[in-house]
Amino acid sequence: MGMNNWKTLSRTSVGIMITALLVVGCNTSSTAPEEPADGNAGTGAAEQTNEKAPEAAEEVGYPDEITYWVQLNANVAATMKDYGEIAAYKKVAELTGTKVTFQHPPVGQEKDQFNLMIASGELPDVIEYPWAAAPKGADSLIKEGRILRLNELIAEHAPNLTKILDENPDYRKMVTTDEGNIYVMPFIMGDPSLSVVHGPIVREDWLKKLGLEQPTTIAEWEAMLTAFRDGDPNGNGQKDEIPFLFNINDIDLDHLFVGAWGITQDFYQENGTVKYGPIQPEFKEYLATLAKWYKDGLIDPDFATTDGKLKDAKVTGNQLGAFTGYPGSSIGRYIDLMKENPEFSLVGPVYPALEEGGYAMGNYSYPFSGIGAAVSATADNPEQIVKWLDYKYSEEGHFLFNFGIEGESYTMVDGYPTYTDVILKNPDGLPITQAMAKYFTANWSGPFIQDKRYMEQYYQLDQQKQANQNWSQADHSKHLPPLTLTADESSKTASIMNDVKTYRDEMINRFIMGAEPIDNFDKFVSTIENMGIQEAIAARQAALERYNARK
Amino acid sequence: MSLMPRRKSGPPVTGVDKNAFSYRAFRDLKLNKYIYVMLVPVIAYYVVFLYGPMYGLQIAFKDYSAGAGMWNSPWVGFKHFESFFESYYFWRLLRNTVLLSLYELVFAFPASIILALLLNELRSNRFKRTVQTVTYMPHFISIVVISGMLVDFLSRDGLINNVIAMFGFERTAFLGEAGWFRSIYISSNIWQSVGWGSIIYLSAMSSIDPSLYEAARVDGANRWKQTLHVTIPGIMPTIVILLILQIGSFMTVGTEKILLLYNPTTYETADVIGTFLYRKGILEADYSYSAAVGLFNSVINFALLVLANAASKKSGNNLW
Repeated sequence: MGMNNWKTLSRTSVGIMITALLVVGCNTSSTAPEEPADGNAGTGAAEQTNEKAPEAAEEVGYPDEITYWVQLNANVAATMKDYGEIAAYKKVAELTGTKVTFQHPPVGQEKDQFNLMIASGELPDVIEYPWAAAPKGADSLIKEGRILRLNELIAEHAPNLTKILDENPDYRKMVTTDEGNIYVMPFIMGDPSLSVVHGPIVREDWLKKLGLEQPTTIAEWEAMLTAFRDGDPNGNGQKDEIPFLFNINDIDLDHLFVGAWGITQDFYQENGTVKYGPIQPEFKEYLATLAKWYKDGLIDPDFATTDGKLKDAKVTGNQLGAFTGYPGSSIGRYIDLMKENPEFSLVGPVYPALEEGGYAMGNYSYPFSGIGAAVSATADNPEQIVKWLDYKYSEEGHFLFNFGIEGESYTMVDGYPTYTDVILKNPDGLPITQAMAKYFTANWSGPFIQDKRYMEQYYQLDQQKQANQNWSQADHSKHLPPLTLTADESSKTASIMNDVKTYRDEMINRFIMGAEPIDNFDKFVSTIENMGIQEAIAARQAALERYNARK
Repeated sequence: MSLMPRRKSGPPVTGVDKNAFSYRAFRDLKLNKYIYVMLVPVIAYYVVFLYGPMYGLQIAFKDYSAGAGMWNSPWVGFKHFESFFESYYFWRLLRNTVLLSLYELVFAFPASIILALLLNELRSNRFKRTVQTVTYMPHFISIVVISGMLVDFLSRDGLINNVIAMFGFERTAFLGEAGWFRSIYISSNIWQSVGWGSIIYLSAMSSIDPSLYEAARVDGANRWKQTLHVTIPGIMPTIVILLILQIGSFMTVGTEKILLLYNPTTYETADVIGTFLYRKGILEADYSYSAAVGLFNSVINFALLVLANAASKKSGNNLW
């Protein structure tokens, strides 16, 4: 008797345990499966609103539900919990009847979360990501069954995007990998003026006070920074000015100073030949110049430990003379923050060259840089998802994601979508970037074509427009197009580049700070050579040649 | 049980051997069945969350590909271990890991013992409690906040530099200089853990027989001698056991804190195996390689634990 009781009890308890474990183990993966979407509620609504769709797509409706993984943009995070609260997405949900569940990784952990998600295989339906940062190439992710090749799906179910790619063969070339795969519904910058977004920024009022012109050469920069150091431009009688804040990641982005020597801190091309900047002899001169500046007190001695918050404090504390940044989140935001000090002004000078009229390289991105929305291989209804994503490339979708809701966030003035005061002078006192984020995603990215008319209005201040013009004057011929490495190339060279980049970052800082004498530059180069840089260069060379050979 | 068939030859079997382990275990199971049922969740926890995941260790010997999955990725033997040992950073990582742990052992470990001994000598109970509260408070602050405070305090216009400047000395970018990293790391660890760590020693001290102190006093021992000959031997077992535990995690230095405090300029002294693993495994998604490095780390930890325990057997205070 007792025995039987025990058995029953133990079976029950073990059973409960196992069930509990299974539930815990599985609830993350088993949320998605839905019945295939034929004859669901969303279909009817969809067909009513999209009469223009070609015949092939008519059997396919919009999906009922989508899970959508995307990094949470800071402008959204400032006032909202997820992308579902953005007016453009609300409108899309209304029009298509699709319920979108957004998944946002914790801010600052986007890269970790993305990598873990890809490795675990538990994927949401749509993944929007800067895919150039994915550890393995897109082609290998398609082979491994993580994301879908979209070529056929786009051809059949994405008439709007197909039209755009057909009209712009350049775009098609960029969004197609070497193996001929289109792996995302892309984010494309629809005008060359959108391609330059970052550059040097200088205190304009300090220049005026010291009677200086905007610098155009390295020598003029040195003279200006020295004047910032000695001339007490903030007028508090103390020598507390920080002439320039060096930021290694920003320089990777915009090649300030190093570009004057015709090289970069990373890979670049010269007439079709790929080179790695830090091992070029010019790099030594660049480092020597910055090391001298550091020694002379022209560079912030805390640059290695200064984060965004500290940078803000240094700018708004009237301490910092020159730095690097964006027209919106730097020039616009700082001028706004310093409203009480009407003298405060920033200017974005041209990228400096070695001598007057010489070569200067600057920030530039190709219209497609790898950002886009991929459809995961585990999605149940890729046709419907592609059709849903394609809406953003339609005329209405384009306006929705660049300008928001007509009559609310913009009005048509002589055929020009003009932002209303809800955006430009937000009644709740929101900065322009956050007001925009309430309505649309044009001020960062997403799977749609960015409209230059957004930028024309986003840059409200003359200083911003001027900066954009000045920075655009730099040479863009040495930038690498969006390359795709093969799985083999990327797995071999990822490891090399990890070592090289760690070493490079460390040594650039050490050289500049004087912890390492410039005479050791040759040793620095040979160490990088020994790490296998030539193999990494060769891989990119091959990728560039494949890119150039694309039709 | 009595239905056992008798055998034709050999000594008669009168019943089961009541001393056999299986018999005793079964009896015990029957008697205490509910207590054993309560054990099930614990065992399940260990199996599912601690032993189960160990099968993933195999990827250290494979070229893991997310598409092929754990089982189907190709075996590559010791390739990843070899490439780690040959890596440009291997010796530096090993040196930094070992040094930080060693300093932790030499400076931070005795710190809480010393604090406990000092507190033990205090007469004013109120003062003692205040000191205790103040010293163990930092233990409850999250590592992220602690690191944020450190960055603020140590920056060029932070608290510490302001004090230094007040006395007319040069300001230093502490977190930007490789030479400072270890001191900052260890001293902030002491600040964080000294109060909390001393609690266990204080409780060990309170269980020392007061008659021992009386006897020592009768023999003419002053406070210092009493400490030396009664208090310290009294807490010795606690010290040894905590030391063994500490050694068991010798190679596991606080990766999170280092990640929050380091930057390329201080890699020279700050980059440890754990942070390297993070960059390689999580940021570069090189899972096989980082599994190999992690396994290497754990094997050393395990070996050190066994060694420490063996060494402590001599003092009779070993763990097992």
